[in-house]
Order: sequence, then C-alpha cells, then structure tokens
Amino acid sequence: MRQVQGVRRALAAVVAGMVLAGMVRPAAAVAETIRLGAILPLTGPGAVVGTQEMRGIQFAFDAVNAKGGVQGNKIDVVFEDNQAKPDVSVLSFNKLVDLQKVPMIFTGYSGPSLAMAPLATRKKILLINAGAQSDKLRNASPYLVNTLPSTGDEVAVMSKYLIQQGKKTAAVLFENDAAGIGGRDDFLDLFPKAGGTVLAQEAVQFGQTDYRPALLKLSAAKPDVLYVVITAGMVPLVQQLKQMNAGFLVAGTTFMADPAAIADPASNGIIHTQVQIDAPPDLSTAFKAKYGDDMDFFARQYYNAAQIMVTVIDKLLTEKKPITGENLHDTLFAIRSFQGLIPMEFKSNTATVPIGINKMENGKDVTLLKVTAE
Amino acid sequence: MVWLQLLVNGLVTGAALGVVAISFALIYATTKIFHVAHAGVYTLAGYLAWSLASRGMPDLVSLLVAILCCTVVGALIQHQLYARLERRRATHLVVLIASLGALAVIQNVIAATYSSNILQFPVPWGSRVETFGSVRLTWTQILTVVLSVAAYAGTMWFAHRTILGKQIRAVASNPFLAEITRLRPQRIYVIVVAIGSAIVALPGVLVPLDLGLQPYGGVTPLLTATIAMIAGGVGSITGAFVLAVGIAVLQNLSLLVIPGEWSIGVTFFIFVIFMLFRPTGLFAKAR
Amino acid sequence: MDFLYSYIILAEVYVLLGLSTNLLVGIAGIFSVSQAAVFGVGAYLVAHFLMTETLGFIPALVVAAAACIALNIVVTLPSLRVSGDYFVVTSFGIQLLATAVFTNWTNATGGANGLPGIPPPDLFGLPLESTGQLVILCSVAMAIGGLAFWLLMRAPFGRLLRAIREDELAVAAAGKNVLRAKVSAAALAGAFAGSAGGFYATFLSFVDPSSFDLDASILLLTMVVVGGARTLAGSILGPFLLLALPQVLTLVEIPTSIAAAMRQLIYGVLLILFMLFRPQGLAGEKL
Repeated sequence: MRQVQGVRRALAAVVAGMVLAGMVRPAAAVAETIRLGAILPLTGPGAVVGTQEMRGIQFAFDAVNAKGGVQGNKIDVVFEDNQAKPDVSVLSFNKLVDLQKVPMIFTGYSGPSLAMAPLATRKKILLINAGAQSDKLRNASPYLVNTLPSTGDEVAVMSKYLIQQGKKTAAVLFENDAAGIGGRDDFLDLFPKAGGTVLAQEAVQFGQTDYRPALLKLSAAKPDVLYVVITAGMVPLVQQLKQMNAGFLVAGTTFMADPAAIADPASNGIIHTQVQIDAPPDLSTAFKAKYGDDMDFFARQYYNAAQIMVTVIDKLLTEKKPITGENLHDTLFAIRSFQGLIPMEFKSNTATVPIGINKMENGKDVTLLKVTAE
Repeated sequence: MVWLQLLVNGLVTGAALGVVAISFALIYATTKIFHVAHAGVYTLAGYLAWSLASRGMPDLVSLLVAILCCTVVGALIQHQLYARLERRRATHLVVLIASLGALAVIQNVIAATYSSNILQFPVPWGSRVETFGSVRLTWTQILTVVLSVAAYAGTMWFAHRTILGKQIRAVASNPFLAEITRLRPQRIYVIVVAIGSAIVALPGVLVPLDLGLQPYGGVTPLLTATIAMIAGGVGSITGAFVLAVGIAVLQNLSLLVIPGEWSIGVTFFIFVIFMLFRPTGLFAKAR
Repeated sequence: MDFLYSYIILAEVYVLLGLSTNLLVGIAGIFSVSQAAVFGVGAYLVAHFLMTETLGFIPALVVAAAACIALNIVVTLPSLRVSGDYFVVTSFGIQLLATAVFTNWTNATGGANGLPGIPPPDLFGLPLESTGQLVILCSVAMAIGGLAFWLLMRAPFGRLLRAIREDELAVAAAGKNVLRAKVSAAALAGAFAGSAGGFYATFLSFVDPSSFDLDASILLLTMVVVGGARTLAGSILGPFLLLALPQVLTLVEIPTSIAAAMRQLIYGVLLILFMLFRPQGLAGEKL
C-alpha cells in the first residue's frame, strides 16, 4: 500500500513540477520591448569565459537602451546558465523559444552550440556564436552564424608568418577541449603545408593553470617556436614561460590577448594572431568602470555581436517586417557587411574578418601586420 | 635533464597536495564524514588572503588571517551542519549530499563576490627564480615546499605528542569508548574540523599564489588528495602525505612516456588496479 | 510545448538512470559514483550504430544495454573485494578514468568536440522526429523500467538484496548466494543506464563528455537521495524535481551579473535544508 501511495504522491509532484517549470517567467506583454536570449556558461569552470561574454552583450544593449532603444524599442536579453552542458542548453533553448518567444539566441562553446544547432534549423531561430571556434560549427546549421573565424584561418596566417621568419620547427601546447583540439589539428595540418615541422604536442586541461610539466616536455624537443592554443589562464602561462627562461619564440591565437597577460611584463616578445577587434579607449574605460574587469576579447566579441543584432533589428523595423528568426537571418545576410568594433563580412555562416599579427611589448599589444584570411 | 626538473616540480606540487591530504585525512579518520565542502574552505582561504593582500596588508598577515577565518568556517560547518545531521542520525549518503550543498554555497558566494575570472596575487617577489644546477624554482615554489613540510611535521607532532592530539586519535579509533571516558566526541569533532580547515588554508593560499585563483578550482586537488588518503591507508597521516607526493610526481613524470591528455586517466587506472590488490592502502595499520 | 516535452523527456531519461542508481546504491548498497560513465557508454554506442547505419534504434538499444550490463558488472566487481568508503573512492577513480577515455579516444567518441548529428530514434524503420513522439517513446520506456523495478522489489530477489544491505554476513550464513544477487543487481542497473544513454543520445542528437562526468554522477546520487532512496516513487520524483529546480529558480529576480552564481547558491542552501529536515527524501524509506 505504501508503495502505491508513494507512486500517487510521485505523480502529483511530477505534475506540480511540470506546472512550476511551465510558469517560468511568462513573457511580459510590453509591446515595445524586443526580447532576445543568451545561453552561456555562467557558473562552473566555464564561467571564466561565459561571464565576460554576458557582460559584453549586456554592456552593448544597456548603451542602446539608455539612448532610447532601437527606434524606440528597448531590447531585453534573457540570460540562461547552461554550465557549458549540452542537455541543459537544449532545455534552455526550448524554454527561451517556447515561453519567451525569442527570435534569436547568443551562444558560445561548441558543444552546447552543436547540440542546439538542429533545433535552430527546425524552428528557424537565429543562433549567434561569437566565442567558439570549432570547425564543426561552420556547417552545423544555416541558422548558426559565427562572428569569428574558425581557428583554421588564424593558424594559416600564423604558419605562413612563422616560416617567413625562419621558424621552421614547432611544438604545440593545446587545451584538451573543442577549442584547443581544433586549433592543434589545424596547426598539424597547416604548418607542415607552409614548410615547417611539428616536433611535439602536449595537452593541458581547461582551467588547469600548472603548465610546467607540459612546457618542460615541449621545450625538451628544442623547437624554434611554441604554438599555444589555450582559452583561459594566460597570466600563469606567461609567468611560467618566463620562469623557464625558454629559448624559443612563443606564438598563439587571439585567445592570447588577455589584457592582464599583456600588462604582465613576463609576456614581452610573445606574438599572436589577432582577430582585429579593438575597443576604443573610452569604451574599455567605461566597461572597466562598470564591471571592474578589463574588456577582454570575449567581452569585445559579444559586444560586437550585439551591435550586429542592433543593426539587423534596426533594418527590420525600418522595413516594417516582424522580428522573427527567419527575418533576422535573412536580413543579416542581406546586409552582409558590418562595421562594429571590426569590419566584418558574411560570405558564409562564418564571418570573414581582418586578422593581424601582434607582438606583446612592454605592456602593449603592437600590431606587426594585417591580413584578411580567405 | 628534463626528468629532474619534472621530478622537482612534482615534489613541489605534491607537497602542497600532501597538506590537503593530511588535513582531509585528519577530519575523515576522526569524524568519518566525507567532507567535500573542504574543497570550498581550501578555495576560500586563497580568496581571503588575496582580498587582504591586494588591499595592502602585509603578506604574512594576510596568510594568518585567512587561516584564522578558515578555522572558524570549518568549526561552523561541523557545529552547525554535521552535528545537526548526526543528531538526526543521517546516513553517510545524506551527509555527503549536505556537504555538496555546503560546497555549492561557498563556491558560489565566492563567484558572486569575486567573479569567475582567474585572479593573480599582487606579490612580485613570488615569481623570482632561483637556479640550483639545472633546476629552476620560483620563490613561491620554494616557500610551498618549506611550509608544506613544516605543516606535515607540525601535524605529526601535534597528533602524537600533544594531549589534544592523543584525544583526537582516541576518538578516531573508538568514539564509543572515548565517550565513556568523557572525551565528548562531538566537541572533539568540532576541534578536528577546525584544525583540518586551518591546515588546508595553507596550501589554499600557497597554490594560488603560484597558479592563480578560481572559484571552482578546489575540487580537483581535494579529489586527488582523497585518493591519496585512501591509497595511503585511512588514519595514516604519513601515508596520505607520501601518497599525495607520489601521485603528483607520477603525474609529472608520466609525461615522459605518455601524452599529457592521458596522464590523469593513467593515474586513476593505476589507482583502481592498486585498490583491487591492496584494498586497505599502503600504510594501513592492522585492523 | 517543446519546452515542456523536452523537460519531460530529459526527466524520464534521468528516471531510468535514477532507477539504476537506486538499485545499486539504495537497494544493493553498492555505493557507485560512476553510473554516468555507464550511461555514457550506452549513449556513445547507440550513437555509433545509428550514425554508421549498422543497426536500427531498437537493436542498437539492445546491444548497448547488453554491453552496459557487462560493463556495470565489471565496474562494480571491486565492491566485492573493497568495501565501504574504499569502494566509493575506487568508483571515483573509475569515473575519472571513463571521462579521460571519452575525452581522448577521439576516433570513437569524437573526443572533446563530441558527436553531432546523431539521427533520431526509429521504430522498425519509422523515424520518430517530433518531440511529441519522443515523449511517448520515453514515457513507455520509463513505464517499462518502473514496472520492472516495482515487480523486482516485490519479488524474493528484492528482499534478498535488502537483506544483503542490512547484514551481508547473515545472508551468506543463511546459505543465500550473495555474489549472484549482487551481480544480478549490477547487471540490471547496467541495462537501465545503458538504455537511458540511448534515449539521451538520440533525443539530443549530440553527445560530448561533459554529460557523463563526475558532476553527472553526483547529480544522479542527489536525485535519488532527494527523491527518496529505495522506492519507485523516489526514483521518479527526484529527477523531475531536480531538473525543474534550476528552471524555477530563474523566477527569482537577481541582478544579472551575479544571478547565475546566486541561483547555484540557493540550490546549495536548499540541498542543505532538505538534508537537515527531510533526510529520507520526498518518498523514501529512512536511509
């Protein structure tokens, strides 16, 4: 009997749970508010990156709303925390789309983005990724748009440059996740094609800041250059490199350009490719004043992505079209070229942007040369 | 000579990990609680010290205040949470879940207060390098080894030479008997968790001094330390310390033969096999 | 409706996992924290068969369940030799080892990138693409699982398992085959976890190692404890409640920049309070 009673109670609670889950923040009926969504890792280890991405979006829309919004329409972003997990992302996606009726969602991290991609195709919801660089994101869905090039483009530019500089042997230090492995695979492919040899490779775990063992092993291979594909924990990395007194050149991707690492004297001489996305000084100052942190690469990327959405929404409103995922998607490709923090062109789902090679010198990140990847 | 530097680095990491392991071992052997929230206390220590140091406090004062605060937090967790659960005769599993809850609270208080960014200590002297032959060590690393070994020695002395230490070991080996002799196990438990928390605050500050602070960064060291404690044999402080050093050295040196992405997997594989053949640990006393 | 449907589907998948965990941890007393690893193997296997079009969904599910039966017996075998907390930590080790394999065996699992584009499930060639159809499929699966669990608990086998948990020696002394009972429980738990993996992979159409890590194993334990150990009702309640909780917490209005951390903090507090005031879970027997 007890068991039967328990089952009945369970059923009641299940129903209650569903009702609770269903009444989550009903969409507010304010006509002039345009509601968008963002699904990012805001707690857990991925929050290092996710929080900055959230701030970038928030900062951009706060500025727009302070000026009265887009043609008088305020923009409201509903942030969902996915802890970088794919199943939570799918749940959040359905919640935002079903209950909040959002036409587009900002996403980051390749796993969650790949999990949401088929849903985006089916429901015609625009997904904007401005942080993850996995090659698989290029063709995951027509509705998944990447505002930064995949690592391949950056690696190609750097490989060519390194060979020109006479650096013919390399070792790779990569993060053992989608971003790092993608970058490593590109480098293993493109550096030899440019005429170089990869002597060794070594992985570190995401967020694990003791790089010494890996660095020691790699430096034992005596490479001309160490190629680094890591997304977080730059300051410990540059410090440990300096402490090793390594004889090789250190080269990296856009991820290298952590403001705190650039400011650290240990980073002198490090070169890296850079998606040319710079925040004007007054913008970064305002950002730092508001959040107490530097406006890093991810914050700039999502600030820029938010501005692209503002441009697209503005055009839709002018044309008096409804703001749906499909219209946002079509209009984005109709506009094609954007001038935000960075000139950006959408020839495909992945933006073409200028890439530069920068060198860190005395607390500054100096541009050595600029190229636009094919 | 890469292996020598790897070995030395492993010893440094292992010494700090060893202190985490002995602090956990002390608590676990006495209270039998799987105190996961210990990882939170460990993380908290670093953030407290960082707050003080970046406000211009002398480094030593920051360290001492952090240790003091952690002692209080540890005592509170035992007194307000575990003791209540014990009175309600909660099972191990329930206590474990409650401890996970406490860990979530501590981690997220930190994340909400300090943001999730990796923070660096403002101590320029820390990354100065000394060279011993072909081995290079930073001041932070040297300090870590010295203080960790001191903490180990201090704990051994405390457990075996002081009256309180003997009382703790008495409660650990038989709480019922201890109760009869008026040792009041519950009081001892609070003291033990407080002491364990004070000890763990030391690596909690020293490790981030070298590698930076992250709000969710305490779990991996605690997990590795737990494994060291179990493999070393519950109740053996030396076992926990030695095994922690051993694991860290193994993880460092294993890079010479296998790629780094497999080093964690291989370490735990060895551990699982080890547990099958030596289920009570390396340094276990006869039971 | 898709939100509600996807919530129900995920919750039902977790119910199957909850049954698996409950059977092992609650009923047989084998304290495993590596159920997510078995779950993952089921998910990767079904994904593999469907993506290579070697098998249909149902045959793939059967193969995955069979493989997970074997696997779960192997990973719970140490419990016969290693007892109590030692097994918990061994199980930790197995979980971490599994995560390392999922992340690094790139050819089979897609590595950290994961496997995108897993086809939807089909019933004998008829693809089930809409979420509505999937809800029905998963509900049927959950009903079958629940029924099996319920029947088992009423059967002599269920009583034998409970007796083993209470006093293994006495059961052995009474001439019962303890080994066979434990192995059978592990096998059944493996079948549940493996098939849950199949439903999970086909519903999400994407799998990566983050769904099968230690956090997932701990979430499963939490679900079982909050729902109530050893009862069918508990295994159903826990997943539905814990999956809804984060969604409900988004009702709480908090300044955005710290909202996520604050919600996790509230989750931790609720967990602690729940353990203090209802340690037996919502519908459980006393643990």
